[in-house]
Amino acid sequence: MLLTFLVLTPFLAGVSCLATRSRLWWERANLLAFVAVAILAMAAGSEVARHESLSALGGFLRADALSALLMGLTSFVALVTSIYAIGYFRRDLKEARITEPQLRRYYVLTPIFVSAMLLAPLADNLGVMWVAIESTTLASALLVTFYSQQTSFEAGWKYVIIGSIGVSLALFGTIVTYSSAVGVLGEHAQDGMNWSTLLSIADRLDPGAMRLAFILAILGYGTKAGLAPMHTWKPDAYAEAPVPAATLLGAGFINCAIYAIMRFDVLAEKCLGHEFPSQMLLCFGLFSILLAAPFILVQRNFRRLLAYSSIDHAGIMVAALGFGGKLGALGAVLHMLFHAVTKPLLFFSMGNVQQEFGSPYLRKVSGVVHRLPWTGTLLFLAVLAVTGTPPFSLFQSEFTALSAALAADHGWAAALFLLGVVTIFAGFLSHMAKMTLGFPPESTARGVECPWKLGAMLLVGLVVVGLGFWIPPTVYELVHRSARIVAGLP
Amino acid sequence: MHALPSELSSQWITLFAAGMLVIQLLMVVQRMLLTSIRLFAMQSLLLALIAAIVAYSHGATEVYLVAVLTFIGKVVFLPWLLTRLVKRIAIHQEVEPLLNSTASMILCGALTLLGCVVARPFTSLERLGNNTLAVAVTLLLIGFFLMFNERKAITQVLALLTVENGVMLAAVALTTYGMPLVVELGVFFDVMVAVMVLGILVYRIRETFASMDVSKLSRLKG
Repeated sequence: MLLTFLVLTPFLAGVSCLATRSRLWWERANLLAFVAVAILAMAAGSEVARHESLSALGGFLRADALSALLMGLTSFVALVTSIYAIGYFRRDLKEARITEPQLRRYYVLTPIFVSAMLLAPLADNLGVMWVAIESTTLASALLVTFYSQQTSFEAGWKYVIIGSIGVSLALFGTIVTYSSAVGVLGEHAQDGMNWSTLLSIADRLDPGAMRLAFILAILGYGTKAGLAPMHTWKPDAYAEAPVPAATLLGAGFINCAIYAIMRFDVLAEKCLGHEFPSQMLLCFGLFSILLAAPFILVQRNFRRLLAYSSIDHAGIMVAALGFGGKLGALGAVLHMLFHAVTKPLLFFSMGNVQQEFGSPYLRKVSGVVHRLPWTGTLLFLAVLAVTGTPPFSLFQSEFTALSAALAADHGWAAALFLLGVVTIFAGFLSHMAKMTLGFPPESTARGVECPWKLGAMLLVGLVVVGLGFWIPPTVYELVHRSARIVAGLP
Repeated sequence: MHALPSELSSQWITLFAAGMLVIQLLMVVQRMLLTSIRLFAMQSLLLALIAAIVAYSHGATEVYLVAVLTFIGKVVFLPWLLTRLVKRIAIHQEVEPLLNSTASMILCGALTLLGCVVARPFTSLERLGNNTLAVAVTLLLIGFFLMFNERKAITQVLALLTVENGVMLAAVALTTYGMPLVVELGVFFDVMVAVMVLGILVYRIRETFASMDVSKLSRLKG
């Protein structure tokens, strides 16, 4: 029941926004729905932590530790984003960048988008997971084109076309997997697409078919996760979408795509052994990290900077998965957790900067701390946290991934990994030092910090700093069991 | 109700799958948008017929539903929607591909060979017809080629739909009883919504760019 409500609540809230013209109602419906989702997710999460797993609708929805973790991350990102969105769009309205009917589109589509994001990890059937992931693309397409400018349509077009090509490959991969499962289970195997069934027969699946399925799945879901070289939609979509929608894509949705890759990786490793899946994952992961690095160094637009950072982090997660073993799996899962918690802060503070300075270009922005002291401080904190500077938690996960690489004797891979991460750190730091600390342009008039936006940012900031020192026992339990699932241990 | 597919139905499936491939090749060489839409409708009709044959020869009632859905969605509704869109925005109908017909035909021949080579190791998985998997993979490859070759928004949508047809053909060829029904319905729903979303985008791009040429979508860089 818990899981059913979890998926349905945001969907209904979104639909309810169609019925009324009151902006206050839209804001409240969204906020309330996401508060409810967060509470339900916490309840479901602690339930899963106590028992083995949770299922609903006769096994249609099923949450093991990994799904529960994803569900929790999505609901966290959705909640803080909905708080931030209220302040963000009120300012957009006041400055007449958007109209009310346009705004309704955001408040209707966002909960539906979140609903699909929650369904993806909770569906036991890999086909339903595919349907949910494709639905997120469709629900968010019109969020990318939100501002209705030439550039937003360009970004939206690329987003849908590239995304749809990608997922059609993933569907092909799912079908190939199912087909070889039917070969094992017999003709009438309706549960041959269910993850729980597939896992138990993975070692008997046809190796050739599994190899093909894994390649298709990593190409397909890798496109959605934004792994290089299928990442080309990402900078455009992230830069053109309104900041709250970009946050949902960059901190929320990315996990769903990585999650799908993790599930296929477990099947592939069980069927083919470690070598082949690991090589594929390492190639895509390291290539993404190394490709992101130069683009971050020379970037002129800080919204696109966010996208390359996201490509980099997707690469780190996939590479950690490729390093393999319990340690690699732990690195990937931890990185997913810390990244999802930290990234919204960077999106939010950069969104504030863009609204205050009226431009996404780095050359037009400097001295943020003088104009917006809170935003400036939090921006600097976010940059340090996102690039994995030691007191913050992303350092732990990157370090875990690195130890996994060394433990598995991937010396070269570890060196490349380190090179990419350090370059990105340097690039980010130099951009940010100028942005936050430099001298403010002409006027030094203090900007006004909006309480909604600041509230959301402080909340995320608190969690980010807190997680560096203490992980709640429930989350700790879920992370450890997720790592076991990803590593393919019973 | 567990009859093996008779030799005859297997031959029909092979024939129709080959027909899908021929239509795909025709789409590569011809230049009129409305004709392309009709070709897509015909290709989908063949896919629906294949599903119907599978349903009939196995007595699998749920596969009939797939056939009916394919017919309603891809043979009737989507072509109607796309035709209306083309007429509404009154674009001139000539498609301007990057490669000329001869070059693209040779390339598609090569892609067909590649499709056969890729599918060869998996023929043991094929349950129906001969080389249906090879055809499905080839449809995918040529669909991708179409997407790069023709820079009009509507032809890109059509290319995407033929890729989808290829994937669905694989689903029929590789699994006798099709995918679980809930997945089948979900995929159907997603395809419909995807085309509608793309239709909205085509319409809005037309309004803001006064052109439907996707190669003009090139302001975002870096």
